[in-house]
Amino acid sequence: MLSHFLLMVLYALIVSLFFTLLWRRGRREQTKLFLQIFLGMVGGGLLVAWLMYPFPSGPPAPIP
Amino acid sequence: MSEPGSTTAPPLPQTAASPRGNAVIAVLSAWLIPGLGHIYLKRRLRGLAFFVLVIASMLIGFRLEGNLYQVVPGQPLTILATLGSMGMGLPYFLLRYGLHYQGNIMGAGYEYGTAFLLTAGLMNLLLVLDAWDIVRGKKE
Repeated sequence: MLSHFLLMVLYALIVSLFFTLLWRRGRREQTKLFLQIFLGMVGGGLLVAWLMYPFPSGPPAPIP
Repeated sequence: MSEPGSTTAPPLPQTAASPRGNAVIAVLSAWLIPGLGHIYLKRRLRGLAFFVLVIASMLIGFRLEGNLYQVVPGQPLTILATLGSMGMGLPYFLLRYGLHYQGNIMGAGYEYGTAFLLTAGLMNLLLVLDAWDIVRGKKE
């Protein structure tokens, strides 16, 4: 349950389904928008993760 | 009095009722229970789907022990975050005052859970606006 990737995909799935149902009516338009949002979020997340990969994460922040 | 040929929109009706339903009931029910506003406006399947999505987001955030925002003195951004979280309506108050839920900052899923909980509130706020648009005839 605590896999970063699984949670990211789950989040993208919920958000993309929500906006698809909110903004589109036809099945074809819904599928198109769903894929755009879902793949945009997951792909964008992976891209940002890949760009950040060379940077060291450093020590964990202190808990207030 | 409008000029001939002007594009001024017709005045809105003075009452909250419209052929689609009562605006006050639609907005209040949409806020209190996610999707209920759409069910009231006879968009039953969509209302049910919205209910499932918002409640799923809330339950995942709850399971991950995310932060259910409340106002922290000296931190003005928590006011916005609290209002956003309160957007989920009755579930927010059930979590906050019924289960005395506060989240667990030491939990491994704290940050993700916070995002899920806040998203549930913000999605429901959009549903309230959508119900408002439907009842005023601006959207089908």
